[in-house]
Amino acid sequence: MERLARLVELLCRLAGAAAAALIVAAVAVICQLLVVRHGLGRSAIWQNEFVTLALVAATFLGAPYVLLRRAHVAVDIVPLLVRGEARRRLGLVASGLGLAFCLIVLATSLHWWWEAWSQGHRTASMWRARLWIPYLSLPVGALLLTLQYLVELWAVATRRRPPFGGIVEGGT
Amino acid sequence: MSPLALGAAIAVVTILVLATGTPVAFALGIVALGFLLAVDGTAALANLADTLFAGLNDFTLVSIPMFVLMGAAVAASRAGADLYEAMARWLWRVPGNLVVANIGACALFAALTGSSPATCAAIGKMGIPEMRRRGFPADLATGAIAAGGTLGILIPPSITMILYGIASETSIGRLFLAGVVPGLVLTLLFALWAAFVSWRRGDRAAAGAPPSLAEQLALVPRVLPFLLVIAGVVWALYGGIATPSEAAGVGAVLCLLLVVLLYRMWRPAELWPILDATLKESVMILMIIATSILFGYMLSSLYVTQSIAQWIGGLGLDRWHLLFWINVLLLVAGCFLPPAAIILMTTPILLPILTSAGFDPVWFGVILTLNMEMGLITPPVGLNLFVINGIAPDVPLPTILKGALPFMLLMVVQILILCVFPGLATWLPDTLMGPAIR
Repeated sequence: MERLARLVELLCRLAGAAAAALIVAAVAVICQLLVVRHGLGRSAIWQNEFVTLALVAATFLGAPYVLLRRAHVAVDIVPLLVRGEARRRLGLVASGLGLAFCLIVLATSLHWWWEAWSQGHRTASMWRARLWIPYLSLPVGALLLTLQYLVELWAVATRRRPPFGGIVEGGT
Repeated sequence: MSPLALGAAIAVVTILVLATGTPVAFALGIVALGFLLAVDGTAALANLADTLFAGLNDFTLVSIPMFVLMGAAVAASRAGADLYEAMARWLWRVPGNLVVANIGACALFAALTGSSPATCAAIGKMGIPEMRRRGFPADLATGAIAAGGTLGILIPPSITMILYGIASETSIGRLFLAGVVPGLVLTLLFALWAAFVSWRRGDRAAAGAPPSLAEQLALVPRVLPFLLVIAGVVWALYGGIATPSEAAGVGAVLCLLLVVLLYRMWRPAELWPILDATLKESVMILMIIATSILFGYMLSSLYVTQSIAQWIGGLGLDRWHLLFWINVLLLVAGCFLPPAAIILMTTPILLPILTSAGFDPVWFGVILTLNMEMGLITPPVGLNLFVINGIAPDVPLPTILKGALPFMLLMVVQILILCVFPGLATWLPDTLMGPAIR
């Protein structure tokens, strides 16, 4: 299980790096778009769509990394008020709720992605981008989030890790 | 169960789930799914993936990570410190010059980013230690930065206004312009308060020798390029050259270039933190947007949105009472939810009521932003408080709140000023872009 935990962490970091690369690509394409439209006077065909899809994919791929870094904002007033066993149980409930959401998204997005892939769905624009490529970010992100929550539940349940990443009083 | 009773049940369950400490994005998602499943059964899940994906598949939203990147690039460099040092040298005669300089630097930085925590971090990491070193009390130093940081979402560009523009189908360019004068007035109110409180506490003049003219001018070459970037983005936006997203992308590239050229930050180890901060803040906001849209879809498909709007309309409140209660609602919601979630969930309910009561949607965008600003410095979910805590971990939360409270009251004063003089918000967009079709 320890090995799985390390593997999940590595995968989340890789997904985070991919998301960061997509943001960089989006910035580069926006600049290229302005050069094409205003510098060369030509119309831009694929750029707007690419940038939008890249950032949607970056969001879903980046979400597990952001969870790993505990940067998803949460209301932590009650976790800070309770101590010891109560905090541990609350941590298990919070992770359980997060897991439930991610599991449902994983289950439904797999079918949705499969449909787009097997039926060759494309965007309605002139570019006609293959939708299964950006769609893949949702099940992959949901899978990594699910695995991360499973690891968190195991680690907190077996007292290997403190709940809520070991938040301390004095924080907000 | 009537839609109104269902709405009350949803509110209670949402508060309970949020209180467990589940991240806001996932908490909103699981509550929305729970109610959809309970009322409509598993058929409700058929569109789940598509709703999440389609909610973010909007070119206007591209501007959010771009404006965050713009701020993160500048925040990672010494630019925030230079801005603040320049302000301190120029304002050395003013009582409490350092605090006023920090507020001024926050306002300038706000024009470089659409994010409040980024403004707080960029100016506060140098400003707070320096103010405390020179003997300013911790409550004033931290409170001024917590409040000054909120200018990030009032002075354009503003992520809050982009989201309100999307949710209310109002022009984002018009909203940005509407924030300019109220942003400057609020900066002035903040600065006057800081000067007054410093003067009352005995800081009648600046400590140390006054800076020479050469010292005052020395930082101009450092500050000027960033002012040119702001001017460039404004020109691209209002000159009809670029959409908000494109202007934001160009602004991000220009800020990155300036950071590389002026501050010689070109090593991967220096650039990665910029990307890392952008990734964390953008993904956090965009995930909340995705699940807030799902939450809004749940409210609307269970007929809760429409029932609440009808109920409020049926109360027969006059327009100012209505506005008062809406402000109270936004303020309370702001204590528990980040701006993105509140805007996307409440705008569909509030906008029809407000427009039928004769309020201008652009003007209300500014009022809403001021409310969201207050939410950013109130616990338990005050994003700016997280940032201040990271910069000055030894300052306890009640001290920060004590310092920030007068600034929050000034925001309330600003809302009242805008109610009396709505033209402060609408004059600039109406003058530059022509009167809106209302």
